Amino acid sequence: MATNLVRLLESSIRSNNAGVASRTLRVFSSQQQQSEQSVEDDEEFRVLNLRTVKQQARKRVIKKEVAPPPRTTHMPVDQDWTAVWSGPRSFHPASVPLPLRQGYTERGAAAPSKYANAELMKIPNFLHLTPPAIRQQCEAIKKFCTPWPKGLESEATWKAIFPVEVVTTDYCHSLPTIRHPEARRVTITLKLTDLKFDAHAKDKFLRLVGDRYNQETGVLTFVADRCPTRKQNYDYALYLLTACYHESFITEPWEDSKSEADMEVYLFERNKAKVSAEAILNWNATGEKQAPSATYADSVEKLINEGENEYNIAKYKEEVLKMLKIAI
Amino acid sequence: MLQVLKSLRLTQPTRFASALSSTVTNTSSITADASSAVNSGEPDKLYSKLEIELRGIDPAVLKSYTWFATTAAEHLGIELGKCWSPRKAHHERMTLLKSVHIYKKHRVQYEIRTHFRYMNFHKLTGSTLDTFLEYIERNLPEGVALQAAKTELQQLPAHLQQPPEQV
Repeated sequence: MATNLVRLLESSIRSNNAGVASRTLRVFSSQQQQSEQSVEDDEEFRVLNLRTVKQQARKRVIKKEVAPPPRTTHMPVDQDWTAVWSGPRSFHPASVPLPLRQGYTERGAAAPSKYANAELMKIPNFLHLTPPAIRQQCEAIKKFCTPWPKGLESEATWKAIFPVEVVTTDYCHSLPTIRHPEARRVTITLKLTDLKFDAHAKDKFLRLVGDRYNQETGVLTFVADRCPTRKQNYDYALYLLTACYHESFITEPWEDSKSEADMEVYLFERNKAKVSAEAILNWNATGEKQAPSATYADSVEKLINEGENEYNIAKYKEEVLKMLKIAI
Repeated sequence: MLQVLKSLRLTQPTRFASALSSTVTNTSSITADASSAVNSGEPDKLYSKLEIELRGIDPAVLKSYTWFATTAAEHLGIELGKCWSPRKAHHERMTLLKSVHIYKKHRVQYEIRTHFRYMNFHKLTGSTLDTFLEYIERNLPEGVALQAAKTELQQLPAHLQQPPEQV
């Protein structure tokens, strides 16, 4: 121990001297080195040295860096953690004052500690997103946020003013490209009841849109993804809606040739039932003609459109008895 | 963080101004028609729903990220909807011969497990949505993919509000 200390002192003196005096007093320094060497050589066997001191290859001392103690030992308890770990970074054991353990071991043994532990470095950590950090950052960006307008609290209230919903999708992933083929897709939905129609236009509109109308929910859905950009797809979807809506109000000349076989619902006005009812009502009448009542027409239509069920048949019976003025 | 703020500052001001003007109009008269308002400018958009789908290899990372996003939403005053994840991961399996050429009975199986997680946020204005989405996207950890489906509310276009007069 003592010899080591002496050596350390000597080496420090030597290095100091060499730094200060080597440039100015070369001769002196060489002499001094010789004298030092004599002191050093006392301990070991002296070898014959034919070369000059200068030519002698110096023994290279490999300096080993002394690792400082981990940072965690100096950390105060009430430090600002957001300043220590300010951004995303892979795990570093000397900066995290937590007794973490992670990894697989044989049964019964404790998991490896945090030092030189690859398991802890592999998984992305959230040490930069601690609750105080999130609060700080949210307070900083809160000024860019605006509150939801008053009066639009429930879905019913905003549906009345904003009936159209446009669904678009953004993607954030780690592919080499930032493009995503699905990002161009635009979906427009609205209720059929939000559009105003007459009977002919509604029928024609539903025929034009086809599958885009959901009979059960009454929702129209237009999906566009054929154009390369989202803007183009949005414009195209709106164009489709507009074109279908305006086209449905056009009555083509060939639409008048729709025969009874083409009808999708039974209409009292167009059928034999009306003629027969009128014939019975106006039997042998000479003055103005009597027309069957609207309730009778309704009951006949329901009977044929909805099918023969107990209620419809009873209603029909009642209407017939009323029309023919038969009292039971 | 500083970087986030800086970039936010760079991108946001115009949007922010327009958002302010639109909220003023929105609160005064519910219709978000900014043309009649004093502050001329682009009216802010309204989003009824923001649905976020996360997919990743590690369920623990997804869980932590969900916690982060929901906490941030809470601080920003965004209404939180349903947050859920399916119980089982998607397994994409590939079965190969173990040897190069023959021995058909001996195979190896490789698989990729993808875990999913969903979050819903309701009633966001355009500026809130942009701020929030950028914030959580910038803090997305490695190996996690995010899909954000935005439901924007719009008025019926003027040419669809009334039936066409002459066709």
